[in-house]
Amino acid sequence: MSGKSITVFLAASLFAAGADAQIFGPGGGQQVMQQPSISHRIDLPGDAPVALVSDEWGGSAAAVRGGAYQLDVRLALSLRNTGQRRIRGITLTVISQEATPGGKGSISIPSLDVGPGETFPIRGDLRLLRPLGGNSGPMVEVTLDGILFDNLTFWGPNKLNSRRQMMVWELEARRDRQHFKSVYERGGRDGLQKEMLESMSREADRPQFGAQVMRGRPTNNAPEQEVKFAFLHFPGAPVEAMDGTVTVAGNEARSPKLVVHNRSSRPVQYLEIAWIVKDQQGHEFLAATVPAEKRMPSQSSTQIIPDAVLRLESKTPVQSISGYVSHVEFTDGSLWIPARTEIEELAARRVIAPSPEEQRLVQIYRKRSLNAVIDELKKFQ
Amino acid sequence: MRHLSEQEVALYAASEAGWWNGMLYRAHVRGCEGCRRMVREYRLDRERLQMLADELPSGVSWERLAAEMTANIRVGLAAGECVAPRERPASIPTGWRVAGATAGFAVLLAAAWWLNMPKGETAALGRAMKAIVQPVRRGMLSDEGTLVEASASGIEVRENGGRLGVFRQGVRPATVSLSLQGTARARYIDSDTGQVTITSVYAQ
Repeated sequence: MSGKSITVFLAASLFAAGADAQIFGPGGGQQVMQQPSISHRIDLPGDAPVALVSDEWGGSAAAVRGGAYQLDVRLALSLRNTGQRRIRGITLTVISQEATPGGKGSISIPSLDVGPGETFPIRGDLRLLRPLGGNSGPMVEVTLDGILFDNLTFWGPNKLNSRRQMMVWELEARRDRQHFKSVYERGGRDGLQKEMLESMSREADRPQFGAQVMRGRPTNNAPEQEVKFAFLHFPGAPVEAMDGTVTVAGNEARSPKLVVHNRSSRPVQYLEIAWIVKDQQGHEFLAATVPAEKRMPSQSSTQIIPDAVLRLESKTPVQSISGYVSHVEFTDGSLWIPARTEIEELAARRVIAPSPEEQRLVQIYRKRSLNAVIDELKKFQ
Repeated sequence: MRHLSEQEVALYAASEAGWWNGMLYRAHVRGCEGCRRMVREYRLDRERLQMLADELPSGVSWERLAAEMTANIRVGLAAGECVAPRERPASIPTGWRVAGATAGFAVLLAAAWWLNMPKGETAALGRAMKAIVQPVRRGMLSDEGTLVEASASGIEVRENGGRLGVFRQGVRPATVSLSLQGTARARYIDSDTGQVTITSVYAQ
């Protein structure tokens, strides 16, 4: 075992009373079934710029639910920054190969400001369900996927492409902090307080939605119609969505075809298009994003045809679909995100969610005070 | 003039040649020694057969013998039909006839549907039939499919019969999002510190 690689088997601690659990059937009859032992492993590479200080798995449990094992994993880690730079974000990979063959999860903390030698907490709750059968107990493995520093450098294997996503969150955080700083400088405490209250109001009014993404065949029998995308064009966007159609059948949208054009002078390697759905009751919400790993030379166009079906809750049949380019990654690894002014109208309509940083600042305002928010804004230069 | 044939001589000798032929044959026989001699021989043979018939045992009836022989022949023919393979007349089997009629009816129905029904209705029926053949459970695709879900209560990926979800007891995510690539994200805000934790599930 390497220096920072820690393997802990929790079978005894989670099931101290023994390996047998009593399961009561619906008829009141009592079945005695062998519980699987849960083991977990936290694997941080030896040269990682973070170190594990402590780990808590209290509340984690395994139970038989119908025909499957349900594993509730409650994880609380404390990590220390052992590097030389301030940490802005971290992503851990959570894999339970036996519980979710092929599937994996991750836990990310954006908007961090952890200096060298400082510690920070990470919490994660995961529920794993696997069919009964198999001899060995399920293993939960936590590994490091990447760390983003204050100078936007990245460390880690990046198997989940977490660098790109953490970069987007960090750029959004810088943009929104700058926005709130400007508001404070222009309008003082009253202006900043008004912004905080408006953000809280928008968040409270933003509709919650439920949706599923499936690969393969559609599941809906409703009549189909081809719907044309209505695109929002941002003047500063390096890539413009030119044309797009999607087949809509009731509450399902499938077979989207999008044409995008790189109008910038730099080659692009990745882009995402946000997909806004309007249901027949007039509610609008951001239902999904369409990512595309596309190498696009400057001044070139390409087609994006993802093979997936988007299904909304059955009570929300699709009426129309619009979209916009939400971020672009160039071949040198730098990213573009929309300016705050470009997405303000969407935010005002409660269509898009605020950035993680805006949510963090609003929560600080709600829980502590406006002064705490001002202190936070001054902390990041 | 031609001579009488043996058949005409036999009929004339038995007085069964008919009135008109009998007159003609008689005129010929009077002037033809050869034919007269043959008629005389046929008549002598007839008399001898009559004498032999008179010598048959009493009780034998020619009509009865003929009837029995006819009955025996019919019994033999019937038995032969039972033993020998039966030849059937060449015709289309009943099953094929039914299938042919059904196919014709189906073609007629399809043509009527194609000519009259809107395209959307046809597509909807096709999907409904496909759904019957491959039933779909509500809320998820078949076991071999992959499904990523985001709802107000959390996120989940279902794949290869297993599930990986993110649900916090008593806490709803502040935001959930979906990507058509097969990723779902749930954002939680710590109520005390404001720290944001974003959990994601990925389909392969």
